[in-house]
Amino acid sequence: MQRLGAIVAMLVFLLAGARLAVADSIFPYAYRTEVLPNGLKIIMVPMDSPGLVAYYSIVRTGSRDEVEPGKSGFAHFFEHMMFRGTKNYPAGVYDSIITSIGADANAYTTDDYTAFHLNFATEDLKKVIELESDRFQNLYYEKPAFQTEAGAVYGEYRKSITSPYAVLEEKMQDLAYDVHTYKHTTIGFEADIKAMPEQYDYSLSFFHRFYRPENVVIVIAGDFDEAKVMEWITNDYGAWQPGYKAPAVIQEPEQHGPRSAEVTYPGKTLPIVEIGYKGAAFDPASTQYVAAMLLGELAFGETSDLYKKLYIKEQKVEFIQANIPMNRDVPLFAIYSMVKNAADIPYVEDEVYKTIQQYQTTPVSTQRLGDLTKRLKYSFLMHLDTPDHVAGGVARIVALTGGLGAIDRLYTTMAAITPQDIIAAAREFFVPDHRTVVVVKGAQS
Amino acid sequence: MKHALLCVALLSILASTSLGGPIVSQDQFVLLPVKNDPTISFRFVFLAGSQCDPQGKEGLAAITASMLTDAATTRNSYEAVLDKLYPLAASYSASVSVEQSVIYGRVHRDNLKEYYPLLMDAVLRPAFKQDDLDRIKSQAVSYLENTLRYSSDEELGKAVLYSTIFQGTGYGHITDGLVSSVKSITLDDVRSFYEHYYTASNATIGVGGGYDQGLLDALATDFAQLPAGMPTIPPAPKPALQPGMHVVIVDKDAPATAFSMGFPIDVVRGQKDWYPLALATSWLGEHRNSSSHLYQVIRERRGLNYGDYAYIENFPNGGMRTVPPQNVARRDQIFEIWIRPVPNETRFFALRAALREFKHLVEHGLTQSEFDLTRSFLSKYILHFAPTTMERLGYALDDRFYHIPGSHLAMYRDALKTMTLSDVNTAIKQHFQYGTMVIAAVTKDAASFKDALLKDSPSPITYKTPKPESVLTEDKQIETFPVQVKSVDVVKVEDLFK
Repeated sequence: MQRLGAIVAMLVFLLAGARLAVADSIFPYAYRTEVLPNGLKIIMVPMDSPGLVAYYSIVRTGSRDEVEPGKSGFAHFFEHMMFRGTKNYPAGVYDSIITSIGADANAYTTDDYTAFHLNFATEDLKKVIELESDRFQNLYYEKPAFQTEAGAVYGEYRKSITSPYAVLEEKMQDLAYDVHTYKHTTIGFEADIKAMPEQYDYSLSFFHRFYRPENVVIVIAGDFDEAKVMEWITNDYGAWQPGYKAPAVIQEPEQHGPRSAEVTYPGKTLPIVEIGYKGAAFDPASTQYVAAMLLGELAFGETSDLYKKLYIKEQKVEFIQANIPMNRDVPLFAIYSMVKNAADIPYVEDEVYKTIQQYQTTPVSTQRLGDLTKRLKYSFLMHLDTPDHVAGGVARIVALTGGLGAIDRLYTTMAAITPQDIIAAAREFFVPDHRTVVVVKGAQS
Repeated sequence: MKHALLCVALLSILASTSLGGPIVSQDQFVLLPVKNDPTISFRFVFLAGSQCDPQGKEGLAAITASMLTDAATTRNSYEAVLDKLYPLAASYSASVSVEQSVIYGRVHRDNLKEYYPLLMDAVLRPAFKQDDLDRIKSQAVSYLENTLRYSSDEELGKAVLYSTIFQGTGYGHITDGLVSSVKSITLDDVRSFYEHYYTASNATIGVGGGYDQGLLDALATDFAQLPAGMPTIPPAPKPALQPGMHVVIVDKDAPATAFSMGFPIDVVRGQKDWYPLALATSWLGEHRNSSSHLYQVIRERRGLNYGDYAYIENFPNGGMRTVPPQNVARRDQIFEIWIRPVPNETRFFALRAALREFKHLVEHGLTQSEFDLTRSFLSKYILHFAPTTMERLGYALDDRFYHIPGSHLAMYRDALKTMTLSDVNTAIKQHFQYGTMVIAAVTKDAASFKDALLKDSPSPITYKTPKPESVLTEDKQIETFPVQVKSVDVVKVEDLFK
């Protein structure tokens, strides 16, 4: 293992970490943020979880960063390759150590980031830091192992495409985006996945470009000694060379005019309709963005008039819900509904548009707005009950913003949202020119 | 995790009564106090699982439970229930397995006062309205007709495996029921099921987290309002398979082939042999773990699929979770192997590979090093099985079901400390066997697969990418590994769950 830079890196302790107090913060745990000279950021969240730790390595690269043609799905594929070991710890050795410490270990990839996570006993923390720092710096695999893993990834694609939602998602992203990499889903285009076995050299360049300390944040939550953790991390990650090269992600130009498509799912499913609007990138300080988050719940959540009408009273839909995601670039603010009878699809669509129009003109009651902000606060608090839920729960915000400060900014903005802000957000984002509608129907329905 | 927190404290309050009503005894409470937990978790268990569904009304237990938690109460319309729960960020739900119906929910203690009456209304005062029943039935039918048959081949394979092994018993249908039986369920059916099974004596009341004595007193008083009487629970099914390998092929236009296979076992958690058997099963196929041996053989070395696992306890929704669920306890379990979808052209090869490994385990047991590594793994891995109060409460209730005096997870850890290789290999010999099994396959072109199975035709494999010589050599043995099937039944997917 490379240890040459360790002494230099020890100097990091001279840079005092900032500890954020709990008072006035919605995040209920005091936490500390440190940055090594090479740019690696470490967020430590001590909490009452006797003997247990969650360790998340968040790489701020996802399918969004797959800018080269033919390389869609590579961020996800690379997540798999990170388990192929190093010369110090070949895959089998890595696996048997992770096995012997009984760690609950896995990884996932999203549009904007990739996370590698382990839950394990505190006594094994030093070993985990050593193993994780090793694979992030010294990953090594040969072509046959690479090609075998490509087969497993294709297997994962086959597993997931048996769902009509995967078919819907593929079509929606492809249709709504012209140039931005959100055009493909995280698992990638099937043709690109099929061709992955031939991309060995590209995979090496992917590692060198993106798996760099200044593009990674480590979040540790649970029961541990902060000073020791920093000593081990400084020692083990200190020599990691910076060199992250941000990909040139082309921003999507403004959409002019509605788009729509119908797609066939080869099996049987009730029709599903997705109505997506070009939204805005995550910005916790933006009144408009945060108002849109609330609007999704107010207009289409389970206490909305439309939900009660279509789901409970008329029983025309199996479900209806909105998704206002947190993304690095402009995502789709989407409304989904599974419609029981295909003949009712135009009716359901129309009801959605009417609801949007209503929110563009009529202010929501302050009571409903208050109920929603209370709900969001308690949902957040109730979820933060284990080290894994804490580290996993903040992973996306950390990936998008680089830290935890955005949580308080988000809730501060939220607390100040007025009914007029909701109207403004409805007018800003939910307009026909920025809309894409995809309907998936089963071939055998 | 503090050991003490895992202990189930028995309620120390006096049993409470309501005038003239049944008595809720302290033995019916399962408590898990966690002082610094700002939330309170509830799990109310009724022995009212799908095994209690009357013939022709399969799915009634599940529909009834939904009519409590996803519908109106006599005090609030369903819309009003949702409105009131909404700002509390709390909800309650139901889950139904073959043995139990469980109503569960969790709330922040700041919101308990508003939440508790809503929760109790759901259990004590369901409205049983026709429009709620119509909505819930429609969803249940859609799940059977669309989701299960057509868009979840992995769950489909498991459903067929369990239905085949337990056919003719109370475990013989899935909890969701059949399309025709669900459609036939009326409000009278639901009322009758509720009155018969949701009785005070049939309830086990689980509470965990930062609650106080006042809450327990209220629960004792409220549950006493349920009707008296203890329903008769059907006897355990005790299934027996005909000797031999029996294949059921679900014929559908599947893009890949999913397998679930297994046979009944006569051991459940809490019994001495369960723990060494669990270790052997973990070695063969710990759920969602790359340490699994089957995973190594089928996915890691050959890249045929996403994962390959083995179980000695029912593990529903395996694709959606990484550690075992709670409150799906059953008196009869099966040993089960789950092979996630493989390319259709490699289906026979993958099946052979799995069976060959299992046969080897049955005949030779584990080696010392395999045993040592798995024991080390499990002794810490089981720490992740129940990190939250809600999950630990679920385990505590399952301990009650299995008549485990302390805690299953504590027994598991203790058993691992003293377990030997010989214990494991003896348990394998006693409870596993090779040669009698049901194999459920979800695939297309069933006729050709049936033909290949009956002829035991060789299933050579080729790869698009280079493989080490050791893999290719082993492939030669797998390709002709005799499966020797006794019977092959083909069922069309549209004929399932009718």
